Amino acid sequence: MEVERVDNLKTKGTFSKLYTWLPIILLFVSVLNEFDFNYLKLEYFSFNFPFILIFFFTLKDFKHFDYLFVFFAGLLNDTVVGLPLGISSLSYTLICIATAYIRNITIRPSPIKDWFYFLFIISLINSLNYSVLTLFFSYDLILTNYIVNTTCTFLLYIIFLSLFKYYMKGIND
Amino acid sequence: MASSRDDFIIAIRSAFLKKSTQQKFSLLTLVFISIFIILLSSLDFKAVRYLKVGLSELVYRSSFIVSIPENFAKNSIINIIEYTTFFNKYQKNKDELGNLKSDFVSNEIIQYENQELKVLIDDYISSSNKILAKIIVDHDSPFLKSIIINKGSKDDIKIGTNIYDQSYLVGRVIEVNYKTSRVLLLSDLNSNVPVTIAPQNIQAIVTGSGDNFGQIKYIKAGLSEELIDESIVYTSGTGAIFKSGVPIGKLRSEKKGSSKRYNVEFYSDFTQLKYVFAEIITQIEIPKVEPEIVPTEDKSGELEESKLKILEDELKIIEETNSKFIEENENLTNKINDLNKQISILNNEIFSQKQQINQFNIDTQELEFLKLNLEHGHKCRKSFFNTDGFKVGTEEYKSCVLNGGRTGG
Repeated sequence: MEVERVDNLKTKGTFSKLYTWLPIILLFVSVLNEFDFNYLKLEYFSFNFPFILIFFFTLKDFKHFDYLFVFFAGLLNDTVVGLPLGISSLSYTLICIATAYIRNITIRPSPIKDWFYFLFIISLINSLNYSVLTLFFSYDLILTNYIVNTTCTFLLYIIFLSLFKYYMKGIND
Repeated sequence: MASSRDDFIIAIRSAFLKKSTQQKFSLLTLVFISIFIILLSSLDFKAVRYLKVGLSELVYRSSFIVSIPENFAKNSIINIIEYTTFFNKYQKNKDELGNLKSDFVSNEIIQYENQELKVLIDDYISSSNKILAKIIVDHDSPFLKSIIINKGSKDDIKIGTNIYDQSYLVGRVIEVNYKTSRVLLLSDLNSNVPVTIAPQNIQAIVTGSGDNFGQIKYIKAGLSEELIDESIVYTSGTGAIFKSGVPIGKLRSEKKGSSKRYNVEFYSDFTQLKYVFAEIITQIEIPKVEPEIVPTEDKSGELEESKLKILEDELKIIEETNSKFIEENENLTNKINDLNKQISILNNEIFSQKQQINQFNIDTQELEFLKLNLEHGHKCRKSFFNTDGFKVGTEEYKSCVLNGGRTGG
């Protein structure tokens, strides 16, 4: 009986560990799998899930969301997508900086303010990405795709926000 | 004012430099590392290249494993859709197969002819070996259209290796790792393929559109009017990046306002690729055939016969050339006769024209004399009152009239 209880506790411990590391696991899965529903063949539709994930969890200063992992996730994303190494890492790190700054200056957090701040940050980062890739690496890119991607990421943030809040509630409980 | 600026600086410094208890690196360090990596990857050092290859190998494999559940779901949906249209497709394929079989036979004949001709002109034969490769990563990104295949430098894949879906061109290899490679699809914005458009035989460049079709660009002005829908687009081989004569797709015109745009509908559906063929090309030089020296003592009879044959052939050639010369001679004499005739006709014409000119001159002189005769005739005519005059019709009378009626010298 006692052995069974210990086993249960062990299973529960492993599960809760996995649960707390879930955001970072999700980040790695999304960069390796390009989790953006492109196969749905919705014209122009695409969004950047890692941006949403990084913005939310670094803004909340989630303890299992290490900057180093975020940096490595960027390197993996560059390798999978075929971009020059370091571009996504820089983008992800810049999001981390932006969230660290907003965390420092905010006294009373508001989701709507965060949401629009998120739009500002991803627009800035996507512009930087576009400029670096076209100017320094001579890539031919469609600007419309970037604008649509930014808009979709912005709109979907609010949906994922509620899901992540539910997750955070689970962690706190 | 000063305190708000201080707050801003403190917030910025804190964001960049402060590490939380769990963080091992400050964000500023990570930013610098990122920029350093970007610079290194753009400089293309050998060490960085090897590191990149190693990382790519690992990441592509991981990506393949991670994508298994999503790919399973995606393939299941595709399979269900395919089963619903299975019978109609079968009938269509059956008809197409019949046509293709007949085309295949004529194609084989053309290939053999091509090889024979290449041997004749002392060219090299490129022996191509197509190897089957599995697509391990295909994320259909809206920004970059590329796929990862499970064949790399180990399987003789090189940068630029042409990739096919059946016999249709799909793209070319742009990054080679040990066991994997990245293929840039024809639909990517950075892809440019020199093509020939048949049957008009127009040269152009097909560039990717970022969508699942290509665009005709860099076509000579005025030639675009000759293009028609359903024209076949295949590689021209210009620039030696792509092999020549590989089908790509069909031409489709699209009207945008007053201008007309030409798109290429690819034969292959890049979103449905599972396996592709990579063409490994090795060039084989054709050894020059040295003339064989036949020993004379053993085959003297054969040698005489062959000599006789050669002489007979020479005779035949001489006879043929002789008859040709005779023919040419006849032609030339006929031509000379014709020319002589033309000359005599022209001479006659000249003579008659000269006569006409002379007659004209005489007429004008007589006209002049008659005019003067009317004016001065009475002064020169011999009469009762003019004893110094001359008899009409004489030379003196004529000269008197021409001198304006002056009778004396």
